[in-house]
Amino acid sequence: MKEEVVVIGGGPGGMCAAIEAARCGASVTLIEDKPVLGGQLVKQTHMFFGSKDEFAGVRGIDIAKILADEVERQGVKVLTSTTATGIFDGNIVGVTTEERYSRIVAERIIVATGAYENPLGFINRDLPGVYGAGGVQTLMNVEGVLPGERFVMVGAGNIGLIVSYQLIQAGAEVVCVVEALERIGGYEVHAAKLRRLGVPILLRHTVVAALGKESVEGAVIAQLDEKGRVIDDSKFGVTCDAICIAVGLSPLVELLVQAGCKMMYVSELGGYVAWHDENQRTSVENIYVAGDSSGIEEASTAMLAGRIAGICAALSLKKERRGYDAEEALKNYRERLSFLRAGPFGEKARRGKESFGIQFSLPLLPSERTSSKKKRHLTAKPFHKGPVAVIECNERIPCNPCVDSCRFGAIRIEGNMNEVPLLEPLLCRGCGECVIACPGLAIFLVDKGFSESEAEIGVPYEMADVPKVGDKVMVTSSEGDVLCEGRVTRVRDSKKKRRIVFFGVPKRYADKARGFLLPSLAKSGRFVKMAVDKEGGKEDFLLCICEDVWRSQVEALIDAGYHSFDELKRILRCGMGACQGKTCQRLILNILSRKLGVSMSSLRPHKARSPVRPTPLEVFASCEEVPQNTGGSKRESH
Amino acid sequence: MRIKEHPILKFKKGRKVEFYFEGKKMTGYEGESVAAALLANGVKVFRLSKRLNRPRGFFCAIGRCASCNMLIDGQPNTRACITPLREGMDVRKQEGRGRIER
Ligand SMILES: Cc1cc2nc3c(=O)[nH]c(=O)nc-3n(C[C@H](O)[C@H](O)[C@H](O)COP(=O)(O)OP(=O)(O)OC[C@H]3O[C@@H](n4cnc5c(N)ncnc54)[C@H](O)[C@@H]3O)c2cc1C
Ligand code: FES
Repeated sequence: MKEEVVVIGGGPGGMCAAIEAARCGASVTLIEDKPVLGGQLVKQTHMFFGSKDEFAGVRGIDIAKILADEVERQGVKVLTSTTATGIFDGNIVGVTTEERYSRIVAERIIVATGAYENPLGFINRDLPGVYGAGGVQTLMNVEGVLPGERFVMVGAGNIGLIVSYQLIQAGAEVVCVVEALERIGGYEVHAAKLRRLGVPILLRHTVVAALGKESVEGAVIAQLDEKGRVIDDSKFGVTCDAICIAVGLSPLVELLVQAGCKMMYVSELGGYVAWHDENQRTSVENIYVAGDSSGIEEASTAMLAGRIAGICAALSLKKERRGYDAEEALKNYRERLSFLRAGPFGEKARRGKESFGIQFSLPLLPSERTSSKKKRHLTAKPFHKGPVAVIECNERIPCNPCVDSCRFGAIRIEGNMNEVPLLEPLLCRGCGECVIACPGLAIFLVDKGFSESEAEIGVPYEMADVPKVGDKVMVTSSEGDVLCEGRVTRVRDSKKKRRIVFFGVPKRYADKARGFLLPSLAKSGRFVKMAVDKEGGKEDFLLCICEDVWRSQVEALIDAGYHSFDELKRILRCGMGACQGKTCQRLILNILSRKLGVSMSSLRPHKARSPVRPTPLEVFASCEEVPQNTGGSKRESH
Repeated sequence: MRIKEHPILKFKKGRKVEFYFEGKKMTGYEGESVAAALLANGVKVFRLSKRLNRPRGFFCAIGRCASCNMLIDGQPNTRACITPLREGMDVRKQEGRGRIER
């Protein structure tokens, strides 16, 4: 089969690339591994932050539908449940379905395969019950099954924080979130959401062991010193039946490696990435890249980079369509993309892309995450005259749905959308639309004149167990303190599956009370620290899970002089299993880098070969075409 | 554990079907992944590892890590997380690299 543009990966990046290429008049095929389009979006139940141009304020699952509809409208040929298992010389994409293997000769290939989760090494990390955050999300939000009841979350980036919250929404308990760094990597608003539910976030802590025989029965948690080393006598155990790993993502680049694209290790972008220019074109002419597979960022940036890749691929084929000014659209997308990256949270991506020689011309924001704007309310608040919105969003994150949600023009963001929103209380009518719209659940209603002794607080609420008027609740602050008892005064429904629950509290808590706990939710965050026995000598864990290779084996070989991943692999088979190194490569390269005292960027990743996913041989036997000599056939053998 | 009540989502499920795990009858929903059906029945151990026979369950749930390889209807190395459940399916723990049973 022949095609003008083949897009690999049907997440937000790939879908937008396909949409734009088709809009420019190219004939496009979109290949997606899963039965449905959407990528990460299909499991994201929360409202996305970001720019409203990129669907911020809409839940991920709904963004997936919007984009998939557009893909269809643009006449893109969609192949779902189809995997691209190799890219070969001559621009050939090998694709497999459950039964068949076939090859597409593509004039342009856009790779938007997303990312995979980083592994974490600790004792018994292979025990059933230790799960990737993405896996937990898939089971919980796509299949409706909770793989455990009581979770310890490892990692306080946005994924760890969001998945913890989603676990509680689904009815699980979250014991605590542990984070090795001294600060939360994700957005403060996501952390506050959890703290209000009583879940502690333990900074400079990590999981050092999973406990249990057949499956997880507990976790050993330890504090880390400023160099990241475990403080031995700080270890304690907690009971849990699941440990969820959310320690970052790595770009999924195996196809790009095979295609011979120039690869670079850029830690700011999450690991090995294909060099690309501002048109998203890699060093191999005809191959473009977009989304997380070109550097870990957000869905919003993935969409824009995808759009840019789609247009540039189509333009390079001299495509044009009347009524669509592709050049103008391109300019607009570029501008939106640099706006999104202009804040402190975009700094990593910016620096990463700059290392490719891409330039950013926009005025940048200060690099401090927290805005020093003390005066969030533009005038003195008439707090005693009914409810007024209070915005507790103090970080410079690219997000703006609150501005449009206010019909009265009371909320504005000055300058770049990464700046914090400001409220004009004189214009605020206390309607609560912003409380419903804020993706971070960071806007509240406060009425200090509710009664003689009480203030009324309205908080956004997205749990299944809804309190009734008159119910007593435990009121919490955004720092996680339980403040007092409150009584529910009213509950407001909305179409967006989010309610506002109002409750009365003694007036002195009006500036602190921002959440509440019900008995059904109160088990999260509660744990007893158990003593752990100090068994010496059993510090080893499996680095390679497919082939059962211990860390001690790898270290011994490195000490014996084997200094590359490929050498270790040949001797120990680590990285040769069915996952093709996804669960061990990063850990092994880390050990190599530490032991040899060299940077990660100077180490070579292992070779990725086709097929990139386990494929039964009979599928290849089904290939009808006679393979032509493409000059690269040796790469096709496995 | 199946989620009973969810504030945002409604789960569309296929027909209720019976299947077998290690010869024991269990129920699940047609079309859901074998992994989901097993977890809903409280099964967490899907296989014993290649060299050391250590218990293993799912990890990524999207067909990337192969941690969930099982013997399904006689086919070894079948990823339970991306295999749709069908009526009467014979699901077994995989031991080691897996043998083809004929
Ligand atoms: C918990 C969580 C919360 C998030 N919240 C937000 C948020 O609020 N706002 C925001 O902007 N972003 C958010 N993100 C980030 C966002 O989801 C990702 O950045 C975005 O999905 C990346 O898009 P993508 O198209 O690059 O990759 P993906 O969405 O990962 O899609 C890649 C697709 O490619 C397919 N694929 C891979 N390899 C192949 C192959 N060989 N053949 C065929 N198909 C293949 C995969 O199956 C997948 O469907 C969140 C992410 C997570 C995990
Ligand atoms: S759990 Fe990773 S492949 Fe099934």
